[in-house]
Amino acid sequence: MPATASEPSTTTTPPNGTTFYRKRTIRRWLRLFVFFSLVTLLTGAVSVLFADLLWRSGWTNTSTILLVLFVILFGLISIGCMHGIFGFVLRTFGDPDRITRFGDYKKQSIEGVSVAVVFPTYNEGVARVMEGLRTTYVSLEQTGQIQGFDFFILSDSTDPAKWVEEELRWCELVRELDALGRIYYRRRISNEGKKSGNIRDFLSTWGRRYRYFIVFDADSVMRGETMVDLVKMMEVHPQVGLIQSVPALVNAESLFGRMQQFANRLYGPIFIAGLNFWAQGFGNYWGHNAIIRTEPFMQYCDLPHLPGRKPFGGQILSHDFVEAALLVKENWQVWLAYDLEGSYEEIPQDMVSNAQRDRRWCQGNLQHSLVLFGRGLRGISRIHFLLGIFGYLASPLWLLFLITFNWALWNLKSSELSVIVTRGMTTPWLKLSGKEHAFLIFMVCMGVLFVPKILALIDLAFDRERRKLFGGLQRATLSAVLETVFSSLHAPLQMLWHSKFVATILLGIGVHWGPQKRTADGMPWSEAVRQHWGQTLIGILWGAAVWKLDVATFWWFLPVLMGMLLAIPLSVWTSRTSLGSRARSLGLFLTPEETFPPSELDTLRVRMALLEKASPAPGDNAIVAEAVLDPYVNAIHVSLLREKQLNPEYRDALAKLGVGRPEVRELGEKLLGQGPEALTTAEKMLILSDAEVVPWLHRQAWIRPSKALASWWQAAIRKYAR
Amino acid sequence: MDLSLESALNAPGASGEPAGNIAGRPLDEWNAAYAKVESYFHALRIRNKVLLGRLVIHVLKRAMRRAPQETHLSATELAAEEMDLVVTEWFGQVLQESPVGANHMLSTRGRLALLLVDMPGKWQEQFLHPPPWPEEFIKAMREAYLRAGPDFQLAKMAPRPLDLGPIATLSNLSMLPFRKMIFVWLMLMLLFVVLFVATHNSEQNQHLLRAFLLRVQNLFH
Repeated sequence: MPATASEPSTTTTPPNGTTFYRKRTIRRWLRLFVFFSLVTLLTGAVSVLFADLLWRSGWTNTSTILLVLFVILFGLISIGCMHGIFGFVLRTFGDPDRITRFGDYKKQSIEGVSVAVVFPTYNEGVARVMEGLRTTYVSLEQTGQIQGFDFFILSDSTDPAKWVEEELRWCELVRELDALGRIYYRRRISNEGKKSGNIRDFLSTWGRRYRYFIVFDADSVMRGETMVDLVKMMEVHPQVGLIQSVPALVNAESLFGRMQQFANRLYGPIFIAGLNFWAQGFGNYWGHNAIIRTEPFMQYCDLPHLPGRKPFGGQILSHDFVEAALLVKENWQVWLAYDLEGSYEEIPQDMVSNAQRDRRWCQGNLQHSLVLFGRGLRGISRIHFLLGIFGYLASPLWLLFLITFNWALWNLKSSELSVIVTRGMTTPWLKLSGKEHAFLIFMVCMGVLFVPKILALIDLAFDRERRKLFGGLQRATLSAVLETVFSSLHAPLQMLWHSKFVATILLGIGVHWGPQKRTADGMPWSEAVRQHWGQTLIGILWGAAVWKLDVATFWWFLPVLMGMLLAIPLSVWTSRTSLGSRARSLGLFLTPEETFPPSELDTLRVRMALLEKASPAPGDNAIVAEAVLDPYVNAIHVSLLREKQLNPEYRDALAKLGVGRPEVRELGEKLLGQGPEALTTAEKMLILSDAEVVPWLHRQAWIRPSKALASWWQAAIRKYAR
Repeated sequence: MDLSLESALNAPGASGEPAGNIAGRPLDEWNAAYAKVESYFHALRIRNKVLLGRLVIHVLKRAMRRAPQETHLSATELAAEEMDLVVTEWFGQVLQESPVGANHMLSTRGRLALLLVDMPGKWQEQFLHPPPWPEEFIKAMREAYLRAGPDFQLAKMAPRPLDLGPIATLSNLSMLPFRKMIFVWLMLMLLFVVLFVATHNSEQNQHLLRAFLLRVQNLFH
């Protein structure tokens, strides 16, 4: 295997823009201006209404704080609302400005084009990763265009059992699909730089072989035709550096997962169409289900470490937004192919898992505040960063708004003064009492929140085919109502979670979740109590305090408090797969992928169900024992270790790890003499990394007399006897 | 391959061994040795019971031949060593590599080749069988190679410095010595500002502050 190192030779620049693209640039600025002007107008108008209410009630310092918070929070929901409105208009009247409409890419030949399809994985469920890959591979094979594609499983797993299982299942997959030399597996020695480091390592080793690479997540699936379309689009548009597909959420079984999936499929299209309206070729990257032009990515997207300490300094965690911004900075276009079907991903099945994922994203997004003012970045990239940051900052701001409101109320009650509502700016026209004025603002806020959902339903009503896919308009409407009720209860919990995340991240404290317990049907009650008791307690105390202060205000607060008070049952019930399937049988929360499942998802579901039924998963040590005892698993593992040593970087890393030293053989003796439980994970990893010790262990385990082996090994060998 | 155990089983009287002993070892020991060798062949997915029995006996016979000379080794140890030798020698013949000094390389390559050619499914009868072997089997075995990645095309990616603008200046502040103290001082100053605003801005605030202080006072009484 020849190994030649080369430096990026010349600076990669996108081809010169044509008149077509220059015209589009002017239009893009116009779009941006129109969109955000409307957001500003809406936010400004309603904020004035709110300020007027505060003025009428008597302006205090808290009024200033409330107004500032209101402007920010309302601004954010206005952006969401405008996305919905613009998306609806575009979907109704047609949107010519989308990547799938530029040029006739369908006829483009991709012969001779090399594409890598990469699956980065980190201690994920191995069976699911491999089945997702299998599904994608088979689907691509059916297009007859597979010859240009190579698949890579890029493992960063640090769990020895996962490592061995990945190798085993990869080998099985390759044999079953007859895909040797088409599906590759590589595991890094150290997972430096996490996912972005993993991709970087792939690019440093093989990147130059491929014109494009398509990034998957561990739970992603893509239709072969969709991947071919993405490659064709990249070929037709040489100035495009990245195309992000919009993955549909699929395969959810719990009630929570199905509701999220339904919301994503019903509301998603209009929101994304709205986003594409102003972003155009300055779009964003979400880290997976996207195709990337290798050369500019290698040249411009190797991310620097940020100055300072954690949580903000160091490695950029949410690398995707930054990578998109860096491509755009260098005049490469980044597009959202929002109308391209056949791109899928999965979702957490309960509220707690969802929050755990949010915790990771929260830190990454907050870290973007350091990059926000980076010189040379495009304004639109900064907007993407800001929206990401405020996606999480909005929660503590909302909490602060509610607390400030309560503080003002307490102030008022403590002063024993009554509020005299005076005339305000809007009084001559609206002639509203204080309560009516407050109610009007409340209704406007609700309207802004719910308008996109209503528009999504109207959009559905006009589309006969889509209506069928959602189980009919009536069921879809009922589902949307129920989903809205749930999201209203879920929102306060998200607020508490996100506020905690932001606070702990800023203070540099980790959040301890503990191992999450799940039964076959979902979250057990005891686990829900452990995860939500704090939120429930906050709900009870807060509710009691507001009740004591002012009963009328309590009823206004009830929707917020209800989510907290019901956190435990809500978490348990929505995690239930039985309730998810009951809702499905009633025709609720149906999505197109459930009504008419694409063959890819059907196959994936059936295969996963068969695998789960086939045999219980062996314990971690049992899998490690297979690497020692099983003649085939051992041979696969050793062969891969030997191949790894051909890469000079890996060879150095292995040496740095301690591979080849006599201590590893001593650890091997300990493993044989005392069993795997006597070793730490790091020690097991070290042994498994040594291409000399692993085959030696295989031989020793089989030829040594039983008395020279730990009883654990004797039992493991007996399992091979029939 | 001599697959008969008869000679060994009929021999005890002739060699003056007590009943129940074979090659100087008790039958129980050979039974354990049989189980170990059989387990290994099971691990290699040899499913055909007749073939399995023949292969185990072949290995045991070789072990029995060594047994009188190597009295310090148990029957299981002898059988396990012979099993390893038999398999490695056979790999050497099939793959045309010398088993001497291969240091596990040959065994690993052989086992991998068995897996890749699907020996358990297609070529079970050829396993440990003496030559000649079918051409297709030999070719498949010799060409079997597990390729984990294409040829390397190494490149060096280097991060480009990102000018963070004003943030770079701000982040440098975190490098200030005594930054925690400075933070505390800033917080104290902020507290004074809050106190000032609360006491000077409105009648209502003054009233609230007095009420608050009164409550604190009451707490201590």
